[in-house]
Amino acid sequence: MLNFILRRLAIAIPTILVIILFSFLLMHSAPGGPFTAERKLPPEVLANVEKKYGLDKPLYQQIGVYVKNVVTDFDFGPSFKYKNLTVNEIIASGFPVTLVYGMWSFLFATIIGVSLGVIAALKHNTWLDYLATSTAIIGSVLPNFVMAPLLVLLFTVYLNWLPGGGWEGGQWQFIIMPVIALATSYLASIARITRSSMLEVLNSNFIRTARSKGLPTHYIILHHALKPAMLPVLTSLGLSFVGMVTGSVIIDQYFSTGGIGQHFVNAALNRDYSVIMGVTILVGTLTIVFNLLVEILYAWIDPRIRY
Amino acid sequence: MDRPQNSLLIVMYVDNIKIQTLADNLSDGSEIEGRSLWQDARHRFFKNKAALISLITLSLIVLFAFVGPQFSPWDYEEIDWDAMGDVQVLGAPSFASGHYFGTDDLGRDLYSRVIQGTQISLMVGLIGSFIAVVVGTLYGAIAGYLGGRIDSAMMRTVDILMAIPFMFVLILLMVMFGRSIFMIFIGIGLLSWLDMSRIIRGQTLSLKNKEFIEAAIATGVKPFTIVTRHIVPNVLGIVVVYATLLVPGMIMTESFISFLGLGVQEPQTSWGALINEGARTLQNGTLWQLLFPLFFFITTLLSFFFIGDGLRDALDPKDR
Amino acid sequence: MNLLEVKDLGVQFDTLDGTVNAVNGISFNLKAGETLGIVGESGSGKSQTVFALMGLIARNGTTTGSIKYNGKEILNLPEKQLNKIRAEQISMIFQDPMTSLNPYTRVSDQLTEVLIHHKGLSKKQALIESVQMLDAVKIPQAKSRIHLYPHEFSGGMRQRVMIAMALLCKPQLLIADEPTTALDVTVQAQIMKLLSELQQELGTAIILITHDLGVIAGSCEEMLVMYGGRVMEYGNIKQVFSQPAHPYTKGLLHAIPRIDHQGDQLTTIPGSPPNMLRLPEGCPFEPRCGVALDTCKNVIPTLQEFTDNRYRACHSALEL
Repeated sequence: MLNFILRRLAIAIPTILVIILFSFLLMHSAPGGPFTAERKLPPEVLANVEKKYGLDKPLYQQIGVYVKNVVTDFDFGPSFKYKNLTVNEIIASGFPVTLVYGMWSFLFATIIGVSLGVIAALKHNTWLDYLATSTAIIGSVLPNFVMAPLLVLLFTVYLNWLPGGGWEGGQWQFIIMPVIALATSYLASIARITRSSMLEVLNSNFIRTARSKGLPTHYIILHHALKPAMLPVLTSLGLSFVGMVTGSVIIDQYFSTGGIGQHFVNAALNRDYSVIMGVTILVGTLTIVFNLLVEILYAWIDPRIRY
Repeated sequence: MDRPQNSLLIVMYVDNIKIQTLADNLSDGSEIEGRSLWQDARHRFFKNKAALISLITLSLIVLFAFVGPQFSPWDYEEIDWDAMGDVQVLGAPSFASGHYFGTDDLGRDLYSRVIQGTQISLMVGLIGSFIAVVVGTLYGAIAGYLGGRIDSAMMRTVDILMAIPFMFVLILLMVMFGRSIFMIFIGIGLLSWLDMSRIIRGQTLSLKNKEFIEAAIATGVKPFTIVTRHIVPNVLGIVVVYATLLVPGMIMTESFISFLGLGVQEPQTSWGALINEGARTLQNGTLWQLLFPLFFFITTLLSFFFIGDGLRDALDPKDR
Repeated sequence: MNLLEVKDLGVQFDTLDGTVNAVNGISFNLKAGETLGIVGESGSGKSQTVFALMGLIARNGTTTGSIKYNGKEILNLPEKQLNKIRAEQISMIFQDPMTSLNPYTRVSDQLTEVLIHHKGLSKKQALIESVQMLDAVKIPQAKSRIHLYPHEFSGGMRQRVMIAMALLCKPQLLIADEPTTALDVTVQAQIMKLLSELQQELGTAIILITHDLGVIAGSCEEMLVMYGGRVMEYGNIKQVFSQPAHPYTKGLLHAIPRIDHQGDQLTTIPGSPPNMLRLPEGCPFEPRCGVALDTCKNVIPTLQEFTDNRYRACHSALEL
């Protein structure tokens, strides 16, 4: 097992480096980019950046310095836009917010999605299945940017139950709509994947064997079907996680929650490249780490995977 | 470890388990006597009510996108100065004013703008998935066919690309290289072929050992010809299903970008941009601005969804 | 008294393409301790017949007729009552030991759960008995290997595990659905030998399903030949082998390659198995039959006893 984790890490770490390199080069090649001389930066910022990366030095040295700062100190340097802020400070102000509603919607989507999918599969071709399936189909055409205005329309404009935006330190009434808006489409796809995976397993030969052994249905589902049926769902969870982080771009924008997505879009519009790079690298790393966790979990559940 | 993994489209439209079983069944190549696989599939598809209704609905929407402008007295970028002053009353949907869907907050005719948005969104969806399918199929088929070190290097590249936060890169591309439809095509198309390439590679690997491929190799057919003549046609079923399910994903990605105001450039518009305008003006009481584009968005996505599902079921008629 | 009496059993499936009549009016009897062989090509309904016995027909299937076990009707029993019969009275070995054991669960758990549920043993006691059973099917080092996962066993060993699992509760009837099809020829012989040894020891009746006449020849008393979901011939195995009464049985016996006949070509039955969706109106074998009459096209022959305890379903004149 340790061997397996080490081998996966040996792939993950270079991937992260590639992402860092990739974003640096993208940034460098951008017209009017930060590391090119033509760009007009505020003098204080320019001084900061030059001190940090030595813009007069050759490209490979700039890359070297940047990568070293990121890897050893987790330091993304100063913002190109705000002279008093570092990228780390900007990320630190937004990330906890994203994490709070992101985690809630992750839990919400997973728990409801898996339950819906399992119920639909067990009650295959009954009204419960049709209900769950249609919920999932409708949910999958309601992405966060559609759910957000619809929720505001219902809960803020008509019912006046919930505030249409803001965060206020994460009080519950500010969390509900971001969570539902973010979770809906993922809930739907988790439900669909769970359903078809569960059906696949229920139709498998080894479930037929279990039935031929005269075991009670609930026992078969719990002890024989659930584990293999959850494996594909597990993979999709890694994906939903990433999608939720990405979705924060919309959520933060629409609900003014002040999360990492809002900083990213602002930075993109302001061409605040160091912030863009910082967020991209952070999200990329999170993706890789999360997928690594999923893979380890997967290997742990599936005995056929050789470590 | 070979297991399905999805790329980073906003919604995982493509149910990889079903796609995988479809792939397995199609590569078995079992043909029932008499009718061919495709004939049978067409027969089953037309028996599927949801898919058939969706096909008709989609055709109507496409028709609307082409002939709709004939019926409107207003152009999509023309401002109705009368309506602009009091959008909430004068800009409401009415046949008398010629604004069948009302106007937006700038007094532009929403009917014409929705048609414009429909054209752009459908185009992005179709061309985007076309690029993704072509690139993914060729890449996967070549990797699978060549095998060995080249295969592992190519697939490792896919793994790394998959770890890159796709949506963020897309936003970056739009910001850095300017907002244009062309950029959207490039961005979406080139970043979403990854899944396709994996599926096709797996298919190719299993096809490679079939007799007809071996025969082609033995008679000295060039590798590229084998890939295009023998492998690609044999993975066509899965490609068609996948492409159909990819279109809504593409539309959604474009809408996501446009919702952020980073997509198509004004005065051109797309569903995402229109939904965004509707969402921003919720408090003004001009609800039609949100609901009309949303109706077309959701209807189209649902149609593609049912058509794709119907195609899959038609090609893989196991009862589920 | 008969242990098992099957009368006019029918199995139908609803599929997207129409109704599949997999089994059409099958009848046979089985005495305690006896062995019945069911032979037929794939798709002839032999597996569905025994699945009906165990209540394992897929959800889209319906069953008609009657199955009496020890004089009690067991067809279409509710799941709860079926569970009292399964494993305790009737148990089953499946064709593919690779996929028929749960790959995610240790063999120990898959064995002990049967004893825990049916005999109320403690986990510890169940483990002891399971190891004894693995010893009985001649798995070396059963005590330590019981804790492995199925994929850590070879194909033959896996089938031994399946047999051990089926015999845990010492059932009166064992159904073996092509138990050796997925195995190497040498392993096949070992498994068949093991089965007949265990049968002697426990006095279990066996229904042996196969498409391999060689497997049946050595181990059965009675034999049932199926085609297109119907019984073609039924009787004592020695008599059927020496004097086949149905053209299909004759064809089957002719098709066995024989080492003592230095023939230059393998004999086959011309044509291909029927499409179960569109069965012929008359005898299902008529399109491939060499001695078919005009009546065979429209009238389904019934199964009739033509001499003592020998049955056949055929319109043609009897030639032995």
